[in-house]
Amino acid sequence: MNHFSIKKITKQTEFYVFLIIVALSLLIQFRSGQFFTNNNIVDLMRSMVVPSMYAICAFLAFVSTGPDVSFPLIAALSSYATIVISLNIGYKGPVIWLYVLAGVFGLLMGAFNGFILVKYKFPALIVTLGTSAIFSGVLFGVLKARRMELPSTMLEFGKSSILTVKNADSGLGSQLPSTILILVGLYIVTYLVLNYTIVGRGVYAIGGDEVSAERAGFNVKMIRFGVFCANGVVASIAGMTYSSMTQFALPNEFSGAEMTVIAAIILGGTRITGGVGTLKGTLLGTFLIVMVANSLILLGIPVYWQRVFTGLIIIVGTAISVRKSSGSVKKSLKAEVTSK
Amino acid sequence: MNKMPADISTNKTKLIRLPKDSNITRLFLTLVAIVIVAIVLKPHNFPSTSNIESIMKQLVEYGLMAFAVGITMISGGIDLSTVYIANMSGIVAGIYMRTFISPEASLSEQLMVSLVAMLIGILIGALCGIFNGILVAHFNIPAMLATLGTFQLFMGISVVISGGTTISRIPGPFTTIGNYRIFGFVPIAFVIFIIIAILLSVMMSRTKFGTRIYLVGTNAKSSKFAGINNKAVLIKVYMLAGILSSIAGLISLARVNSAKADFGSSYTMTGILIVVLGGVNPNGGFGSMTGVALAVVVLQVLSSLLNMFQNISNYYRDLIWGVALIGVLILNYMISNGKIRKLKKKN
Repeated sequence: MNHFSIKKITKQTEFYVFLIIVALSLLIQFRSGQFFTNNNIVDLMRSMVVPSMYAICAFLAFVSTGPDVSFPLIAALSSYATIVISLNIGYKGPVIWLYVLAGVFGLLMGAFNGFILVKYKFPALIVTLGTSAIFSGVLFGVLKARRMELPSTMLEFGKSSILTVKNADSGLGSQLPSTILILVGLYIVTYLVLNYTIVGRGVYAIGGDEVSAERAGFNVKMIRFGVFCANGVVASIAGMTYSSMTQFALPNEFSGAEMTVIAAIILGGTRITGGVGTLKGTLLGTFLIVMVANSLILLGIPVYWQRVFTGLIIIVGTAISVRKSSGSVKKSLKAEVTSK
Repeated sequence: MNKMPADISTNKTKLIRLPKDSNITRLFLTLVAIVIVAIVLKPHNFPSTSNIESIMKQLVEYGLMAFAVGITMISGGIDLSTVYIANMSGIVAGIYMRTFISPEASLSEQLMVSLVAMLIGILIGALCGIFNGILVAHFNIPAMLATLGTFQLFMGISVVISGGTTISRIPGPFTTIGNYRIFGFVPIAFVIFIIIAILLSVMMSRTKFGTRIYLVGTNAKSSKFAGINNKAVLIKVYMLAGILSSIAGLISLARVNSAKADFGSSYTMTGILIVVLGGVNPNGGFGSMTGVALAVVVLQVLSSLLNMFQNISNYYRDLIWGVALIGVLILNYMISNGKIRKLKKKN
């Protein structure tokens, strides 16, 4: 009996990502002795917050439709607009309403993506590239975005922490920000919706085979539209969280995140042709990428090697996950990819 | 008409395509319209020799990279790594020239070293392209992901090679030749661009290899059964894309007299925009290099017109590009849908 479950586990991409993470962390621990220290773990969790939120966007888009590359700019534009508005009206209330306002902006931008994708069925990559150019034009051209101070409520929220640790040996301290609670909340909600609701199953169904999903009674258009609206909201939450955590509005720092995040979720086993993927894998993939980025210094590797490693991890990871899929899947995958 | 299931309609758009000419005519008319508007709005600045010269000079680099994206897209893939292949070639060629050109050497010796440096740059482009091609063809990694990975990798390697610095002050005759203007007016880079455009157009429309690229892009399975070696075709396509990118990198090295690992990262987006504007189907199999070349010119003319208005921030360009990209997609969609409707009525 046990034999079967082990076999099942070893078939999952998540398992291999987990193994790589364990091996790498042991290597880093062995080389530097600094990996399994309380402040490093807390630092890693801190660095995980925003990328993991983005990862939800990339994950939902891939499972249901295809690559979405617009989420960093949705995050930038919605959070920047919110910050500007709240500074102008001198808002002093609780931070939650700022999140709600940003969420509304994000929802509108996500709906714009969703509308074009549902109505015209263009490739998601091209459409979201176009909309992110539009969002970036609005952000830097119309709003003339630049580095800016935050409203006081966001500053306080970003500084607040739920846990403070101090490494007894090195004297380095680290704080676990309260924003991680938002992340946990987002993952729980996404998990429940994806796995315990009809709509959630529909997200997988329309990505796996649109025609069959439609025949099975799923409202393909509404689900796809809904996914991109949700993506907009999640992206705006990520944007607000990022600004709070960096203690500044930094509109220039957002773009570029999409590539590593997409890499992370593909590593985590999300299939590029849609319909397959888990949140567990998404988190593990993100953790792997964040860990590599954060730990190269601990290994004594110069920071500028970071991109080489990220690139290699993407290439090797995707090659393995493509290889792993069984022969028939591989063939249809190839046909689909080349025909897409 | 809306009762027709959506999936069938998309299948039909694939089958029934606009004749290639109509797209090119449309692009050409757009270009003429923009030029007329520009001359009316800026009668003194726009038609000036210096402006036309700068238009010719500026479009070359991303134009070449757009060709690279274009042929990969026609073959059913995409190349997101073009910019970083270009930068890597520029950096290596720059370092080579800085190391091996001594100011005391004679001109012919300096010329030789520059030539070798250029060959090395192009060789690097070819190797990077072959690497992309192997990942796509032999490892079956979706082109978007493969080149997403190699884009990080190539950029990373460039950062490591250059130590994260800008390679500048290239010695020898390289920059002089690169910035030479024929008749004191036409930049040599533009001439190279035109020659490459013509060669590629001929290659895509008149050679066996070109036809094979279209076939592989339209339907990889049937092209395989038609006896085409898909893998070899794809590797050659990506190699060609790499070579085109590296030429762009060398021209950029000559123009700005420096190279850096993260130069022009926005060109990736511009490249895709141009290719789609030029009428290449993002799903592969359709499109022409003439269309892409025209789209390059349209974009550069529009962009230099925008530059003449001091109060329009550069960032508005992003906005306009984005709207243009989606607008053109929708326009093409509506036109081909109209054709389908006409055909249905006939039947």
